Amino acid sequence: MTVTLLPGAPVPTTLAAAPAFDLEAVLASIDTMAAQKPVAAQIVSIANSDDTDARTLAQTLASDVALAGRVMKLANSAYFGMRGRVTSLQFAVTVVGFTTVRTMATVALTDLDDESRLPADFWRMSTCVALGASTLAPRFGERPQDALCLGLLAPLGVALLHHNDSDGYAELAAAEPTAVGLRAAEVRRYGIHAFRLTAVALEQWGFPPSMVTPLSAVDDLAGVDGALLRVALELAARLTVEDHVPVPVEELTSGQLREDAVPPVLDKVRAEADELRLAMLGE
Amino acid sequence: MSATMASAEPLVPPEIVSSIFYGAAVSDTLVLLVAEMVGGTPRITWGNEGATQLLGYGLADLRSLPVASLVPTLRGGEVKLLLRRERSARMNLPVRTASGALVETVVLCVPTPSGRMWTLRLVPVDSESERALRATADAHEQRFATLTERSPVPTLLSEQGMRLAHVNDAFCSLVGLQSEQLLGTGWMSTVHPDDLDGVIEQVVAVLGGGDGETKARLVRTDGTERTTVIRFSHLFTPGVGAGFVGTIEDITDRLAFEARLEHQANHDPLTGLPNRTLLAEHVAERFRPGTSGLAVLFLDLDNFKVVNDSLGHAAGDELLVEVAARLRATVRPGDLVARFGGDEFVVVCEGVDQDDAVTLAERIGAALAEPVRLGGVDVRPYASVGVTVQTAEHGAAEELVRDCDIAMYQAKAGGKGRITVLDQRARAEARDKLRLVAELRQAIERREITLLYQPIFSTADGTPVAVESLARWHHPTRGAISPGVFVALAEESGLIGPLGLLVLDETCRQLAEWDRLLGTSAPGQANVNVSALQLDPNLHGSVVAALERHGLHPTRLSIEITESALMKDPASAREVLMQLRDLGVSLAIDDFGTGYSSLAYLRHLPVDCLKVDRSFVAELAEGHAEIASAVIALARSLDLKTVAEGVETEEQAAQLTALGAGFLQGFDLAQPMTGHRTTAWYAAHAR
Repeated sequence: MTVTLLPGAPVPTTLAAAPAFDLEAVLASIDTMAAQKPVAAQIVSIANSDDTDARTLAQTLASDVALAGRVMKLANSAYFGMRGRVTSLQFAVTVVGFTTVRTMATVALTDLDDESRLPADFWRMSTCVALGASTLAPRFGERPQDALCLGLLAPLGVALLHHNDSDGYAELAAAEPTAVGLRAAEVRRYGIHAFRLTAVALEQWGFPPSMVTPLSAVDDLAGVDGALLRVALELAARLTVEDHVPVPVEELTSGQLREDAVPPVLDKVRAEADELRLAMLGE
Repeated sequence: MSATMASAEPLVPPEIVSSIFYGAAVSDTLVLLVAEMVGGTPRITWGNEGATQLLGYGLADLRSLPVASLVPTLRGGEVKLLLRRERSARMNLPVRTASGALVETVVLCVPTPSGRMWTLRLVPVDSESERALRATADAHEQRFATLTERSPVPTLLSEQGMRLAHVNDAFCSLVGLQSEQLLGTGWMSTVHPDDLDGVIEQVVAVLGGGDGETKARLVRTDGTERTTVIRFSHLFTPGVGAGFVGTIEDITDRLAFEARLEHQANHDPLTGLPNRTLLAEHVAERFRPGTSGLAVLFLDLDNFKVVNDSLGHAAGDELLVEVAARLRATVRPGDLVARFGGDEFVVVCEGVDQDDAVTLAERIGAALAEPVRLGGVDVRPYASVGVTVQTAEHGAAEELVRDCDIAMYQAKAGGKGRITVLDQRARAEARDKLRLVAELRQAIERREITLLYQPIFSTADGTPVAVESLARWHHPTRGAISPGVFVALAEESGLIGPLGLLVLDETCRQLAEWDRLLGTSAPGQANVNVSALQLDPNLHGSVVAALERHGLHPTRLSIEITESALMKDPASAREVLMQLRDLGVSLAIDDFGTGYSSLAYLRHLPVDCLKVDRSFVAELAEGHAEIASAVIALARSLDLKTVAEGVETEEQAAQLTALGAGFLQGFDLAQPMTGHRTTAWYAAHAR
């Protein structure tokens, strides 16, 4: 393995010894979280059902005041363009869409809304991935709203790994400047990379294959399934990671997206990211 | 199976267990596998009939197959994501069959309490019917996409709130942007800021279910605006949420056309100025009874007819266009300039007093007086301007414009190129005149106009041979009104026709009555005065009707027409006179010598008599008999009779008789009398 060190970064003599990392325990911890936040768990389980209606979802959501507040705030954010016209929770659910409500419930369920327990810049990164994916979704034949949710939840695995091995994960991340290198290092240390871990969790909760498959296929450069997520991650890195060495988007998308289409997307993402982050965190 | 059930019924009879196992083992629709840890590696240890069919392995080959080779996408240690120790797992996984092919399945994995053995149930996700359903759904989606994409109707598709998931080419070209710039909330920036709220309101309503539409301006990239009607329909995607389909109708051209039509209806095509209709609306909108500050200027171009007649209508039009431009340039912003008709213009100003209005009128006069070159000639378009400022007396908007019209006529009457303000006195006079006209109309209708009769004498034997009918109006409050005033008023206000008919009919009636009362002593003939305005083809019919009504012979009537009336349109006057002459009615020219009649015409007119004007008779007393003598001589040479009017002394009577006048009429001989008095007078005279 080639370890590229950032200038000025402390030179690690060796990586911290791999902990007795128990994937089973990590997955089990998700169940524990669900037990602690029953309303969010209930929303996660019902929101994907085809016969779900806005009224039922809003009724359930109303039991979790903090989560309901975030959904209202998001529905009135510039992202949805409703300019404060959303005054009922049921209408808010309609505006943001069921998948988004479910995504927000998942965020609450997994404590992603507690920034103190997350890697630095976690939300800045994930909102950029989300907006990048949503903006580019039509080019890849995907639904923008699903892409937004995928982008928001994709780094869930990162949070879980960080949560269970914060020092080790921070060191690992600092030592691997490229996305591909980081994922390889994650597999070496934990037996699974962060996005795969997200996929497992989402699959466990019954999220549709359209959201799970791209996470599993993120390393398959020749495949189309992970292309949108790959390019969204690349754009987010360009916006949030200092000294990021850009990877040409043609390489990431098998030529489906050209580099000259990127600047306007970056502008849009940069403009909307903050508001989306604040709405997601309920600040 | 839940633990509670197990504790409630701890013993499932062995035959039931074996029956269920048998059913599961031979099922070809259920795919079941059992995995165990064998030597630290999870391996398949059992499979049912369905499993051997789906995977293509013989039961022997299936046994001891590593789980990892069955689910190749779970690389490295990921198999344990499926084979969990304490809880079941569910994963979408491709499963490798004996032939190496991959089958997409949902794998449901349940651990045994020992944590060393798992039951795997495989459910292929790509069943025939699912594939068919998806293909149908895809075809529907494709059809819809093609329909909207190719549609010339600009179309929006939102799957979430205001966020667009799709726009078609027609919408992109309507606003001049690429679809990438419009998707999401990008399209909202194309809606005019003042209209965006209305659009959002509609979307809010439509997302809740139902349809709606709103008018909104869309701003194109080049800055131009298109006015559109956006129609929204509710769109629900199961499991996703509510959105809308929006179709856009560009009504810019239609509105422009309607606006053009409306403009044409309210504007003068030549000058582009508002016309009379718009002027009336404009004044009515601003008129508040009892307030002040509204002023109206009424302009009439002096000598416009001269320009039209001498330089042609094109030059006249050019002059009107130039005047319109100068007016627009001279008035204050917000003042209205309208073309009232012909060469008349009206300016309406707000928030001004009389001095301001007069100053504006002077400024307009000065601006108009600059020469205009028309057909090589410099023309100075002077105008007469009437000014009216609203007062408490103005009860309605029309009164303001009408007063202004009066002021303009007063300005014109006072000499052209003037400005006249319709002040309190002038307004009162004008109103008084209007009132008098109404009273005259009433007087005619009620036959309150009475007739006096003045005898006319023959110089041959001094006998009265005829009478002249003289109309009189005794006003109930104003007293006697001079015929000079009320006849002129009748001519101005269109009442001369009814007045003339009244005189004609009453005269005939009186003649018939005299015949009845006096027999052969009754006056032989009555002279009736006819105005120039009555000299039309209807006159003959009216005369015939009056004669018939009262059973009189036409020779009993003589029609007197003034010299100036005859000269207005000699050709048509001659036509009318010929008809009357053929009827047998006598014709006399009144006030002869005071006008400018051509003697050549006189020879061709079918008249019987000339009346020597009273002014020439009066001159006799001053020793000037020249004109009276010439008129009498002229009549004799044309074989016409003569009546000398205004004979006030015996000397005049003698002198006129000596000059050869055939008939005399005057105060000295007999005063005008009522019909009744005339009857008595004739009766006495006969004795």
